[in-house]
Amino acid sequence: MRRFLASLRDGVGFDILLVGAAMVFLIAMAGLPLIYNVLMSFQQVDMFTLGSLIRPWAGFQNYIDVVREPAFWLVTKNTFIFVFFSMGGQFIIGFALALFFAQNFPGASTIRGLFLVSWVMPGLVVGAIWSWILAGDFGVLNTILKGLGIIQSNVFWKSDPAFSIWAVVIANIWLGLAFNMLLLSVGLAAIPRDLYEAAELDGANAFQRFWTITLPMMRSTIGAVLSLGLIGTLQQFDLFPAITEGGPANTSTVAQYWSWQMSFQLYDFAKGATISVMMLVLVLIASIIYVRSTRHEVRG
Amino acid sequence: MKLHFAGLLAAVSLGAMSLATPAFAQVTLKIWSIDGVDRVGIADTFSKEFDEANEDIVVEYRAIPFDDLVNETLRAFATGNAPDIVSFDNPDFALFSSRGAMLDITDRVANSSVIKAENYFQGPLNSVSWDGKLFGIPKYTDTIGVFYNKDLFAKAGITEPPKTWAQLTEYAEKLTDPANNVYGATFSARAGEEGTFQFLPIIQMSGGGYDNVATDGAAEVLDLWKKMVDNGWASKDVLSLGQWDSTGTFNSGNAAMAISGPWEVDRMVEDAKFDWGVALLPTITEGGERSSALGGFDWGIMSTTKHPDEAFRALEYFASQDNRIFAEFGSIPARSDIELPVTGVEKKDAALKVFLEQLQYAQPRGPHPEWQKISKAIYDAMQQALTGQMSSKDALAQAQTTINGILGK
Repeated sequence: MRRFLASLRDGVGFDILLVGAAMVFLIAMAGLPLIYNVLMSFQQVDMFTLGSLIRPWAGFQNYIDVVREPAFWLVTKNTFIFVFFSMGGQFIIGFALALFFAQNFPGASTIRGLFLVSWVMPGLVVGAIWSWILAGDFGVLNTILKGLGIIQSNVFWKSDPAFSIWAVVIANIWLGLAFNMLLLSVGLAAIPRDLYEAAELDGANAFQRFWTITLPMMRSTIGAVLSLGLIGTLQQFDLFPAITEGGPANTSTVAQYWSWQMSFQLYDFAKGATISVMMLVLVLIASIIYVRSTRHEVRG
Repeated sequence: MKLHFAGLLAAVSLGAMSLATPAFAQVTLKIWSIDGVDRVGIADTFSKEFDEANEDIVVEYRAIPFDDLVNETLRAFATGNAPDIVSFDNPDFALFSSRGAMLDITDRVANSSVIKAENYFQGPLNSVSWDGKLFGIPKYTDTIGVFYNKDLFAKAGITEPPKTWAQLTEYAEKLTDPANNVYGATFSARAGEEGTFQFLPIIQMSGGGYDNVATDGAAEVLDLWKKMVDNGWASKDVLSLGQWDSTGTFNSGNAAMAISGPWEVDRMVEDAKFDWGVALLPTITEGGERSSALGGFDWGIMSTTKHPDEAFRALEYFASQDNRIFAEFGSIPARSDIELPVTGVEKKDAALKVFLEQLQYAQPRGPHPEWQKISKAIYDAMQQALTGQMSSKDALAQAQTTINGILGK
């Protein structure tokens, strides 16, 4: 008994206690809801059974039904467009801005700080503002593009099936840009200056320095930014109800919005859960790739 | 000392009495509705009055935003915390009544001296009925018609509002004036209940219904709508604008016709700087079958209530105040026995007359427990056709397949 108490105070017991507290929290706050959600996707759920755990078993019927929905492939395509181009845009522009502000010109850090304003704003507010900017007949963006002579007639960003998903992508790039820039700036600041000096002495030009020093040294940061970006885009929800509501004709519906629609507009909780489990599998695959890609990292 | 003791005793017993009085007689009623979220409405006003008029009843009123009402009630019902009385949009009512979540009030209404089923319009009454039983009473009703800008009509040399959809399309072309930012017509073909609200009447005019959407007439009118959008006689943004915003463009003079309902009238009287009128919703052929959307909310008592008698008394009070709702809240009572007062605002009174006539043709959405899914099939088809992803016929046929699946046909 005494040894047990001693180990609690200073030893293995203490470690287990700390880990245990974290585990209890994780299981209660993330694990159980996750299991509940997966369970729900295999059951028949309606209003009366909403509060109970044991419900009629449905097997894979919910999954079959979701795949057979007329909108399924369209939503899948939209989700990939949304995730790929949002992440791509956020990362490339974010990296460019991070490099730009790393140049240490006067006011660089102040202006970089101001960029954070976009990140601090709630998604619904950002959505409402972009909704005005992208409006068809009296939108700001159309007025500017027309003034510059780029377009002749109005582009209906929110109502044209060819543009609707891009309207949300544009808003999401703007929203996630600052976060990407910030993380990448931190990574850039951690690269020792003397590496660049040595390379310069050896006659490496700016592009070579970027390619052989910056990128390799940033590898783990880039991995983290991309995987966080993936999670961030997959949970981006606020912009959809604020800008397009998934329309017209589902051309801007993505998986997370579809899942919400199923559960909270059509009251088909089982299908809503099914879609979210499908998304979970997608995220799992992405995180496995991320973990594997950073495992053999050689740190200098 | 003795006196002192007696005084103390009196004080204690007085205190005990005042504590005991509410405990033995008071009943708490929970009432939920969307009224009072952004402006004062029927439910919050009448609940407060009912609370004050009845010593034995305490009303706990809760205003819930429109988008959350059904979800919140579902959750509360599932966890055993449902309100006693709730007010739903009429197509949502069947979701609850069909599964026994609402209290059957058929007998109570039959014995009531205040609420008489025969006084209500048929459409709203259908929305609270299920399986031949009555589960609630209509709160108010509304419908849609065509608002038209008389000044722009005169300028284009058009004397009468359109009678058929073909005419409406033809007028829209004539009235369109891109130089002045004027569209011929505006409506709401949004991906949501509002889209179904505006399009279902056309299916009904063509002889169909929510269970039979793939009619030739509906495809024909959908093609006309598409023609208006494609040619710029109506803004492409009709696909994303709700009715309130869509009619806003009419009020500012940017559209010559607008399809919407009586809830627009007060704002239009204020905002519209031109002469306007209201006409009945066009038909498919001249003199053809009429239909229109049926809007409005219903009252119902939830089956889990512990105080059905008191809750029904509250409904009786609400129904007894129906003659006030037009003057105070601009809502039309769903009853044939209430004469609506003249407001003295000429355009408003004229508009109301048309809407009252239109209400005779209004048909409910559903009732069906899975209405939301049926509605989505309908507005999805409408949007697919309008955006040119499918022909009107194919889109409606696909919706029919989806709906057949929901109806178990």
